[in-house]
Amino acid sequence: MDARLRIVGISGSLRRASYNTATLVAMRELAPPDMSVAIVPLNGIPMFNDDDFAADGFPPPVAHLRAEVERADGIILASPEYNHSMTGALKNAIDWLSRKPVSIYGKPVCIVSAAGSLLGGSRAQYDLRKVLQPLEALVLAMPEVFIGRAQDKFDAEGRLVDEATRTVLANQMNVFREWILRLRTPAGV
Amino acid sequence: MMDRTERAGSLKIVGISGSLRSKSYNTALLHALGELAPPEFDISVHLINAIPLFNVDDLEAHGLPEPVVALRAVISAADAVIVASPEYNHSMSGAFKNTLDWLSRKPAVLADKPVLILSATNSPVGGARVQYDVRRVIESVYAHVLAMPEVFLGRAPEKFDGDGRLVDPATREALEKQLAAFRDWILRVRLPVHA
Repeated sequence: MDARLRIVGISGSLRRASYNTATLVAMRELAPPDMSVAIVPLNGIPMFNDDDFAADGFPPPVAHLRAEVERADGIILASPEYNHSMTGALKNAIDWLSRKPVSIYGKPVCIVSAAGSLLGGSRAQYDLRKVLQPLEALVLAMPEVFIGRAQDKFDAEGRLVDEATRTVLANQMNVFREWILRLRTPAGV
Repeated sequence: MMDRTERAGSLKIVGISGSLRSKSYNTALLHALGELAPPEFDISVHLINAIPLFNVDDLEAHGLPEPVVALRAVISAADAVIVASPEYNHSMSGAFKNTLDWLSRKPAVLADKPVLILSATNSPVGGARVQYDVRRVIESVYAHVLAMPEVFLGRAPEKFDGDGRLVDPATREALEKQLAAFRDWILRVRLPVHA
């Protein structure tokens, strides 16, 4: 068995220079040595339409996303905040992941957000928690990470340069690792 | 200054369904409103099937895509908006949230518009959770959402007939009352529409 923990990172933003995608890149750098982080973009995921689904099943980009999520040991969701909630693109992806068999069912999940505002995307994070609950995704409760004023914390190449934030994210990856390992332990052992 | 009494002769209402499927109960609900609404309501129903995923890179390179431009234009020209949303995973559909993300681009076309929120679901709850999410998101772009009464259309399969016609008398009565309240709300809060 591969000892490495396979983590899939999903960014709710589609733009290339997204701070949320850049946050996932930073988390990949800061991860403990036994964690790998693969970032799966949402560009190309079509809108969920039950008519199309009934006729054609999962479109190839969705099938790919679902397969990546299903074989992952843990999922990191990085969401910008649009209009006081997660992006439509991320909610649409979750709608696809919720189709049976629920891809994200029972998966350890870590939520982070980066935003230009001081609030750092907290409203998007609590909406994500609410939406993931009926899918029985196992969201890490604490600590929480909100990266506010993102434009001050990444350099022009999108590298996270703020030392305090790097420390927080490194710790978050350690805590998430512990969460994944704890959930893997068979009950009663 | 707007002349409220003169323009009350015709109220242009845009209905937007949050579901993409052809036999959506939410789309059917919007189509049912015409015969339940006050006589001055002129309701057109719009679908969001062609709205692409929002991506700032694409927006900067190409501007607003044509289906987004068209939807924004009908909303700008409307006196009020009615949205009907299914509930997916305790919130609105991703497709519908994505549409709201497009509509929020400046100038935010829902700003200052009177809005009525509806929902239809198979479950008995009728979309209560999704309505409060839609309310919060739409209010963030300065729309004026009708506070009360609320209508949650649960157990939708029992309330529409095989042709998608709303046949449940209690639901029809509730919607009639709500649409009358929405008319009063529109006349209180709307700004003049510059065609």
